[in-house]
Amino acid sequence: MHETVDVDGLTRRLRDVGYLADRGLAQALALSAALERALLLEGDAGVGKTEAARALALVYGADLIRLQCYEGLDLYSAAYDWNYGKQLLAIRTAEASHERAPDLYGEDFLIRRPLLAALGGTRPRSVVFLIDEIDRADDEFEAYLLEFLQEFAITIPELGRVAAAHRPIVVLTSNRTRDLHDALKRRCFYHWIGHPSVEREIEIIHARLPQVGEALARDVARAIARLRERELRKSPGTSEALDWAEAAAALGAERLDRQTFGATLGVVLKYPEDLAVAAVAAGDLIA
Amino acid sequence: MSAEADGDLVRLAVGLGRALAAEGVRAGTARARAFALALRAAPPASIGDLYWTARIAMLPRIEDLQAFNTAFFSSWGNPADPDMLRLLAESVQHFPASALTATEQRAIAPLPSEEFAGESDAEDAPFVLAMASPEERLAERDFADFSEDERANMLRLIGRLRAAVETRPSRRRRPDLQGDRLDLRATARAAARTSGELIRRKRTQRRPRVRPLVFLCDVSGSMAPYARALIQYARANAFARPRVRAFAFATRLTDLGPALSRTSDAAASRAVTERLQDFGGGTRIGAALRAFNDRYAQRGAARGGTVVILSDGWERDDPELVRSQMERLARLSRRIVWVNPQKKHPAFEPLALGMAAALPFVDAFVGGHNLRTLDAVAEAIEGTGEGSR
Repeated sequence: MHETVDVDGLTRRLRDVGYLADRGLAQALALSAALERALLLEGDAGVGKTEAARALALVYGADLIRLQCYEGLDLYSAAYDWNYGKQLLAIRTAEASHERAPDLYGEDFLIRRPLLAALGGTRPRSVVFLIDEIDRADDEFEAYLLEFLQEFAITIPELGRVAAAHRPIVVLTSNRTRDLHDALKRRCFYHWIGHPSVEREIEIIHARLPQVGEALARDVARAIARLRERELRKSPGTSEALDWAEAAAALGAERLDRQTFGATLGVVLKYPEDLAVAAVAAGDLIA
Repeated sequence: MSAEADGDLVRLAVGLGRALAAEGVRAGTARARAFALALRAAPPASIGDLYWTARIAMLPRIEDLQAFNTAFFSSWGNPADPDMLRLLAESVQHFPASALTATEQRAIAPLPSEEFAGESDAEDAPFVLAMASPEERLAERDFADFSEDERANMLRLIGRLRAAVETRPSRRRRPDLQGDRLDLRATARAAARTSGELIRRKRTQRRPRVRPLVFLCDVSGSMAPYARALIQYARANAFARPRVRAFAFATRLTDLGPALSRTSDAAASRAVTERLQDFGGGTRIGAALRAFNDRYAQRGAARGGTVVILSDGWERDDPELVRSQMERLARLSRRIVWVNPQKKHPAFEPLALGMAAALPFVDAFVGGHNLRTLDAVAEAIEGTGEGSR
């Protein structure tokens, strides 16, 4: 039933699409895909949680269906809805032409939202379903997801049960603005993505931004690592490192010198307090 | 794979579950089952594979990592093995500061005084009850003056208190005939029954959502007895309503998290002590507030809610940090209630530098050194007390 789990192979294929996964993450993604069990990714903002799902979709040539969570997210925006305008028109048309009205609650009038769309995979691993920032949704939605993750099916009262012929690969991300229910967590594999080491960050910059030179990539990765050691309101993630390297390269810089540093710091740090900390520490951060 | 081998995998998984439970982490059978399935799907080729498979399947949250590592290595590893050491070093790399504090604390055994509700409890209880003061007098007694024996009784009394639950309209809606918005879905459905004529209009109303309630308790030195009382009060609230969190701080901030949900007072008290490493050290209020703001409030933990801070305001470091972080917290929350047991003294003046720096941002400033004044805390949380601005 299950194919063998090839962690090294997946690591290589992720690398080919520009995503460098460490061993734990690659194993988590591989197990999640092989066992058809959702994977919950946690970690600081900007460490590449969402990117991991994107990269996985690229590797499998799958559709990425993304559901961004927010407070008040309900079934009708997450799972399915009916096209009311079309329904009313159908009634009127049938009336005018003296025909029997069509089935108003059939496939023709159904609007497929992400949860339902995620069940529509036509072959194994043809859908990666990303439930982004699940911590932003409220308890009610979390409760609904429990059923979805257990059965990979949605019951639509008017239509019946819609089950996945091929289960999607499900990745959930959380920024930990609140604790998730254990009921949800124990239905998932779990992995915490930490900040990468300096060497790994350099590799990531190279993989994602070929236009950035060796020296600049090293300067940026080192400065980012030093910034993370300081007490900041918002510690920079890998996405900030990439933005920084890209911005510096766009200015034609080959090193992160004082001038480039001053011109691009706003890309990395977004709070005046943090900028003040960095300004004081500039000597330590600049190559 | 044979059924017998499957049985071995299950035994392996259950064994790790037991070892985790011994470390105080409840992984549950669903995770153990997933672990066994993962082992069958991907037979580990090295101890590293086994480690990651176990961790991905069995670790409930990153804060439990240290306990997980202990359980894992005591079950299957020899920590003196260089491979093991490398794995351990890799696994703890870059995990968050909040987890670090929790893990370091596990090394610290519960204080003997925490065992007040142990096995001898059954025999002692009637005696303690007989010796205890009537509730009237108990209500006036300073929390610092309770003996070990009486404290369980006091905690039980606090367990009955709670503040009213505050709500706000949420983004989620429910059907309501007098609602403020047309429910297209329900209206169309009703119209379909009447040949598309819009006869019945259905409406929805926003549903109330409980506002968060956050406790930040100074547990340093002289504040410890009051912190115990307030944490117990936080638990009482947590039983009655959602969205209650509690943190302790002295030199660093600790999320009391699961301690709040323990069912018995004694278990909760032990869990609190396990999670605290600096019960009784100096106080860095500014740094603790900053940690809370950065890690929790900034992400919305107190947004639209009430923050209750317990401290005497004696700051070891620069009071300017207290001021700037209080200012931030005031922006990130709805109300701030400051509980200072020192307020019991008739001639009390907020002279402590940290206290003076914080006061401009405090919505209600109350005592809270005994059961009676905990009522004032409840009123301050509800915004009805006289201490409010």
